[in-house]
Amino acid sequence: MGKSVLRIVDVWKSYGELEVLKGVSFELMEQEVKVIFGPSGSGKSTLLRCINMLDPPDQGEVYLSEQNLMEPGINLNIMRANIGMVFQHFNLFAHLRAINNVSIGLRRVKGVSKEEARSKALKALNQVKMAEWADHYPAQLSGGQQQRIGIARALVMEPDVILFDEPTSALDPELIGEVLQIMLELAKTGTTMIVVTHEMGFARAVASEMLFLGNGVIVERGTPQHFFVSPKSDRVKTFLKQLDILYGSHKGLLKLSKEEEDK
Amino acid sequence: MMFQALPQEIQDLLTVLEYWDEILEGFIMMIWLYVWALVIGFFLGLFLAILRQYGGAIISRIATGYIEIVRGTPLLAQILLLYFLPYSLNIPIERWAFYTNFRISDREMTFILLNPEILVGILALSLNSAAYQAEYLRGAITSVGTEQLVAAQSLGMSRRAGIVHIVLPQALRRVIPAWSNEAAYLPKYTIVVWYIGVPELFGKAHYLVFKEFIPEATFIIIAIIFLVLISTVSKVLDVIHKRTAIPGL
Repeated sequence: MGKSVLRIVDVWKSYGELEVLKGVSFELMEQEVKVIFGPSGSGKSTLLRCINMLDPPDQGEVYLSEQNLMEPGINLNIMRANIGMVFQHFNLFAHLRAINNVSIGLRRVKGVSKEEARSKALKALNQVKMAEWADHYPAQLSGGQQQRIGIARALVMEPDVILFDEPTSALDPELIGEVLQIMLELAKTGTTMIVVTHEMGFARAVASEMLFLGNGVIVERGTPQHFFVSPKSDRVKTFLKQLDILYGSHKGLLKLSKEEEDK
Repeated sequence: MMFQALPQEIQDLLTVLEYWDEILEGFIMMIWLYVWALVIGFFLGLFLAILRQYGGAIISRIATGYIEIVRGTPLLAQILLLYFLPYSLNIPIERWAFYTNFRISDREMTFILLNPEILVGILALSLNSAAYQAEYLRGAITSVGTEQLVAAQSLGMSRRAGIVHIVLPQALRRVIPAWSNEAAYLPKYTIVVWYIGVPELFGKAHYLVFKEFIPEATFIIIAIIFLVLISTVSKVLDVIHKRTAIPGL
């Protein structure tokens, strides 16, 4: 394993009376892919927003490459440029063409020249197979295409880590594949990622570790193998069974995992 | 005689139109007040809308307070208050004026650019319009949604950069249909400056009514001038709205 990219220490977050995160800790190493899953309301999205300090934790520490983001006086704008974010609802800038959605961060944050930003943005669009749509506006594109641009927008900033907040859960089923394909390729080329998702096929293929979040705490953690073969807690078992009912994919995965184990 | 064959109504209209130079002076004054109030009101309104939306607890309340006071009181009261304010504060008012003379065919016309009354008129109309424009703009900013700003910040943009480069370009496009209400109301509001003695279109109408005593023809002509102006403004804004529309939306 390489060096530590992100370290979360005992993070707590509440909104009024509602305690969303109750002491979450984990460490993310370079080139690692962490998958976070769990029932809705368990604090997954809140955790991501705590990591890039869009919604700072009430308590605890967040280290990005050993730099404490909770330290007072730190320039969070600069730090955020090193943390990419891909949103459930894409959040593309509606008034900008695909290419400008991707290049605006380089232009406005990194002060890159227009020509250089454009060529870098085109490269990023190429990486998500959207180069030929560069001049389209978000509203002219399908959800899957928009999400790929969302990924390119994060990618082009060359961040230390990219956070994915349920990137496929707002997509029509037939569009999920194209986005997962891009994410698989990114994971395999060594992009450090934290992915909140219920796509267990994706998790099985690339996750170095999976965290099951429930009621604001990490209930169980382990490799995909662990979760698909021998999950410990009843809550995880129940949850995986529910996913199975919804997506019908769990049994197949279980079988695949067992076959691999047998080899 | 041919003119005797014309019906009385037409003759009345022609009599009023004989004063086209007076009407033109009034029209220019009305446009002058309108454009200043609309433009100053826009920038002030944008400022207020941003303060109300993003200003935090205290500043946001101050902006809201201003907007509610202005929208909740009559424009006429505001303009008279502003007009009499220097007198009640015992500030001596000097008479001054910037004006320009011009001639069209045989008529000599004077256009006063600025004097104390016109200044009060522009100020009152701008401060009033700003409150209404602020609310249209705030509605548009709200409709863009917080997630666009979150996305901008996630790229490392400051809140201010996100507002300027991401939220406002979208809000300003979205605001046009609602904002055209203000652009259509404001010319009609300018007539209140008649009360403080600014010779705009409505003031000229009163002058003509006293002089010739044909109120029907006079006010019909004035009404038609407003109608043509406001229809043109609406049409232009409609075209701008379509031209600036985001493709696909």
